[in-house]
Amino acid sequence: MKDAAPEARRRPGESLRAGGVSRSFEGVHALDGVTLELHRHEVVGLIGPNGAGKTTLVNIVTGFDFPDEGDVELAGEEITSWPPHRRARNGLARTYQHGRLFGGLSVRENVEVAALGVGAGPREARRRADELLGLLGLDAREHASAAVLPHGEARKLGVARALATRPRFVLMDEPAAGLSEAEVPGFAEVVRTVRDEHEAGVLLIDHNVGLVLDVCDRVQVLDEGRTLAEGTPTEIRRNIDVTAAYLGGAHA
Amino acid sequence: MRRLAELSGLVAPVLLLALVGVVGTFTSRSVQFQFRFALVMAAIVIALYVFVGSSGVVSFGHVSFVAVGGFAAGLTTVPEALKLSLSPDLFPVIASAEVGNAASLAIAAAVGGVFALIVGVPLMRLSGLSAGIATFAVLVITNNVLRNWEAIGPGARTLSLVPETTSFLQATVGVIAVAALAFLYQRSRWGRVLRASSDDPAAAQGAGVDIYRQRLLAFALSGALAGFAGGLLVHLLGSITTQQVYLDLAFLTLAMLVIGGFRSLWGAVVGALLVSGINSLLLTAERGLDLGIGEVTVPTGTRLVTLGAVMALILLFRPTGVTGGRELTLR
Repeated sequence: MKDAAPEARRRPGESLRAGGVSRSFEGVHALDGVTLELHRHEVVGLIGPNGAGKTTLVNIVTGFDFPDEGDVELAGEEITSWPPHRRARNGLARTYQHGRLFGGLSVRENVEVAALGVGAGPREARRRADELLGLLGLDAREHASAAVLPHGEARKLGVARALATRPRFVLMDEPAAGLSEAEVPGFAEVVRTVRDEHEAGVLLIDHNVGLVLDVCDRVQVLDEGRTLAEGTPTEIRRNIDVTAAYLGGAHA
Repeated sequence: MRRLAELSGLVAPVLLLALVGVVGTFTSRSVQFQFRFALVMAAIVIALYVFVGSSGVVSFGHVSFVAVGGFAAGLTTVPEALKLSLSPDLFPVIASAEVGNAASLAIAAAVGGVFALIVGVPLMRLSGLSAGIATFAVLVITNNVLRNWEAIGPGARTLSLVPETTSFLQATVGVIAVAALAFLYQRSRWGRVLRASSDDPAAAQGAGVDIYRQRLLAFALSGALAGFAGGLLVHLLGSITTQQVYLDLAFLTLAMLVIGGFRSLWGAVVGALLVSGINSLLLTAERGLDLGIGEVTVPTGTRLVTLGAVMALILLFRPTGVTGGRELTLR
């Protein structure tokens, strides 16, 4: 199955869709009619310069913000007005640009609490923490306070915590920020594991374009709140507009 | 081993409370009362801690639950004739209710819990400063209703002749039961997700936590424990007025929790006992304290001024309280 084309891995009805989403903040269009589709068993990259609207889109999809226009659908059901906790309990998880870890808890507890949050029992929560701390390479740090983790490990813990909710879809907002170059291939492997073994759809936002092009099945490029381009990594790499908008631009 | 390490968080508070219970029995009669009073205060502070420590939201209103619990336990253990002589308009069901000590404590817990649940339905939607102020409003409203509505209690009069059943045994067993329930709650999935949500509400919601519902659960449980503690209190004092369960007590219990450390059960217990000790000492000193080298008398009001100052200093220099907000465990 790993070698199958992205289309073949898709299952009908198992999709997350934001349709025609617009959102303004005090007259500034953060998003202007963006449509994003994510299927289980695929990794979609979302790239674009700072201020392109990537995080706004993630916030709207996960219920932390609401669109002025457009809607959000999860497996065919409209969820645009659902609160975040309800979306999480229905298989939607995310990581945060600024970590947002539970600083008063240990690394292990952060993962366990996320499992408990969506209704898992204590035993199951421990099991998931065992598994996910291993997957992300955080076993040795399990008793450390989440507040003192270095940047890279904090991002990994964010991913482990999101996965502890056993999501159907995970939205990762700059999960590789703070990782060293040497750690990036390992992280790409984690993303593939989530897709292939956890059978989740992954939306990957990252400034590391190499990582995004390497691991994603499809890539969508946002600029100034609009979709500038979308296609396979190969197509995107060739796309000159993108080069102008992003690759050639400052790596801000 | 894991279980054992987790349980060790309960051992220290229980041992300390039991120690206070045992040591107290060997003191003089008047000092015995102070010890039992300290144990009952610890029960109130632990009840308050269940909500404040887990949710991170301050509550000035918990003494309302102590009040309704206290009056409920008092009114159900005083003879009907006495109740009607105090308050002829009493609802017949309250006037005729007469149960034993244990049942009255159960009723106190139920009344406190139900009252907190009802109040919590609108209030738990608030957070931060507005939640704190709203709980204060609950305290004021509850006090005024209890003081003026003579169909549900003695009004502004003293409810006296309540059986003094809060012996050392009852105070100690009662407070340990409250501590054990608080501990079980904080180790439960509900307690754990609520505590995480006080670290980062957004991230907790993103992990499926319905913060409103979890806060409401904690508030109701905390209200039930406060009601129970109110029952212990009325059976200790043998009488109760609405002013005894109002601002002074609200200030005192909040000071105890803050001084001990509002983030841990250990902090709640240490704060309650420590401040009770200081409080008793200063109270005695206000009346004249014989130090063996001559009697020392401090001006009236020293007690509350000192408590206020200690609380302010703790907030300034050690906001996590004397225990640092940690449990005392084997680890």
